[in-house]
Amino acid sequence: MTRQSQIALGLGCAAFAVLTLAVWIPLDTDTGLIETVRRRTAIGDAFAPTLAAGFILIGGLLTALSRAVPGGTEDAPRRALRFGAIMLAILIGGFFIALYAGPIAVALYNLGAAEPLEYRLLRGSFPWKYIGFVLGGIFAITGSIALAEGRLTRRAVLIGIGGVLGMIVLFDIPFDDLLLPPNGDY
Amino acid sequence: MDALGYVWAGILAVFQGPEAFALLGIGVSITLIMVISGFVLGIIVGATPGLGGPIAMAIALPILISAFGFTPDALLPVMGFLIGIMKGATIGGAVPAILFNTPGTPDSYMTTLDGFPMAQRGEARKALRIAHFSSASGDTFSDIVLIVCAPSLALLVEAYLDLPEKTALLILSLSFIAAVVGGSVGKGLISAGLGLLAVYVGTGEDFYPRLSMGTDVLNRGFPIATAVLGVLIVGAVFHQMALAHADRIRSVTRPTAPAEMGASLEWPQIRRLLPVIARSAVAGTVIGALPGIGSTLAATIGYATAKARYARRKAPGDPAFGDGAPEGIAATEAANSSVSGANLIPVLSLGIPGNTAAVFLILAAESIGGFNPGPSVFKFSTDSVNPELVIAFGLFTCMFVANLMNWTIGGVIMRSMGFLVRIPKHQLLPVVLVLTLTAIYVQETRMEAVWFTIAFGVLGFGMRLLDISPLPFVIAFILGGKLEDSARQAFAATGGDAWFLFTSPIAATFMALSVLVVILGLRRT
Repeated sequence: MTRQSQIALGLGCAAFAVLTLAVWIPLDTDTGLIETVRRRTAIGDAFAPTLAAGFILIGGLLTALSRAVPGGTEDAPRRALRFGAIMLAILIGGFFIALYAGPIAVALYNLGAAEPLEYRLLRGSFPWKYIGFVLGGIFAITGSIALAEGRLTRRAVLIGIGGVLGMIVLFDIPFDDLLLPPNGDY
Repeated sequence: MDALGYVWAGILAVFQGPEAFALLGIGVSITLIMVISGFVLGIIVGATPGLGGPIAMAIALPILISAFGFTPDALLPVMGFLIGIMKGATIGGAVPAILFNTPGTPDSYMTTLDGFPMAQRGEARKALRIAHFSSASGDTFSDIVLIVCAPSLALLVEAYLDLPEKTALLILSLSFIAAVVGGSVGKGLISAGLGLLAVYVGTGEDFYPRLSMGTDVLNRGFPIATAVLGVLIVGAVFHQMALAHADRIRSVTRPTAPAEMGASLEWPQIRRLLPVIARSAVAGTVIGALPGIGSTLAATIGYATAKARYARRKAPGDPAFGDGAPEGIAATEAANSSVSGANLIPVLSLGIPGNTAAVFLILAAESIGGFNPGPSVFKFSTDSVNPELVIAFGLFTCMFVANLMNWTIGGVIMRSMGFLVRIPKHQLLPVVLVLTLTAIYVQETRMEAVWFTIAFGVLGFGMRLLDISPLPFVIAFILGGKLEDSARQAFAATGGDAWFLFTSPIAATFMALSVLVVILGLRRT
């Protein structure tokens, strides 16, 4: 981290703390720092968040004013940030697949079915309950490995499949009352 | 029940608790099995670079809670398993450090400095045995100190500290953690402030859930598991993956095992190392008892102290520290292992977590219920049985069972785990990531919890990139509710005195110390 980044971080945190103190806390809490109701004085809901924002403000200012010279360069964090952003997109993509793959599969099945099915009623039954989790999980695991390796390999796909099957064995098979993602949301 | 009765009840709770199976007609307690399993798993994850105790605890906790339920009977098996992981991971970390120059856990980095040169000299077996002996010695010493100190400290707190003093103590703990964890006081305060702010979202005493921006998503607040696992585990996985990616770009070569394991350790050599181990164990225990100072710093201090002493006294032919001195391994491993028991002192006596392992123990206690770590645990009530005290002595028993495992089978298991270093980190961590998020989901059963965890993970990743330690965030998140409740009660009890933190000498001293640690931290950096 360079000296400039450190100043930017400190000032950014201080600005966030000031905004929290001046805007967020007053507008988003019903009681102030100290409240007197029926002659009883008590600490209000704004007190604790104000203390928290105070920590951030002091921390931000100390960071910005720190004379310590930090080491490092901008390149490594920037590369890591780019990598992290792509990995985040893969992870979110995986969970979106998990969320919608099951209902989409049911909708596709219903196209040719005499009696339409409803995913909500099938969320605990095989194979429907696994469709979203398996597809989304494999996507997230394999995608992340492929990102780190810079290419998609058969080994990455196998790790994705093995990992997801392992999780099913761990969470779903021994426990009747546990729901794999995303079945609790339906 | 008298004090000895409680100790005995705790021991019986472990050995005669719910039965897992019968062996030759004798019932084997499930708690015992869980401690042993946790210990073995701990060695495995400790020996696997990129994993570690916290990750294993994070994944295990929801599975354990699902398996054992939310009854008081679940406390000892679940917490015993976590204690087993905590202890196993500490010795496991030394294996790749010695054999492959790759620390399995951050606190075994100093072990590489002398362990790897010894392995290269063909003394790998001896180096591993020194690491194991020192680690087990430090751990045992630390546990004895815990058992003696935690109840005494809790009794002192209950006798002398009222609500304002307890509030001031919480503020002192937060300031201390913010000031000493990581390299910068300012960043420590930012981390603690963010943790406090996060825990206050969607909570409060009014009908309107504060800081929720009027949304349904935020009005229930953030579940503790999403914040803790997000910042600690998901953030760490993102960071480790980014590092693995950078290593791939730099074409870092994979480690190879030493060809010759060499001779074993003999008693005269052990006797020579005993003073080094003793000094490091004391240093590690003292450091471990302070909240927020982890085993990595203990290892560094233990190593540096031993190095300075060794340089003055070593014989001309002996290798220097950094060139394969057995004393270097002994000093590091005794210091980092002696942290594990001692850092449960603030947890059990004050309810203040000092490191990530303690965070997971508190998380387990809060999830299951029936055990609230803090001074009230150590109420030696004679007219009725205090079940929390029985659990506390049960936990101490679990620690000694894990120690026994460490002394007996720990070394053998540890030495057979060298192959784990070959598991590529970047292929293992995505599985850990999805496993963690799945574990969160099965506990909370709503996708919101997954999104919260990912969001906290991004925060944890960002903090690591900016050299901000995530530990003050997590500890502040855990202590935030307690701090506010305590302040509200103290304020009400003092009749609305705005200066309630400064009217009693003890509270005022704690507040002065809070400022002092920040100033000293600033001078240090």
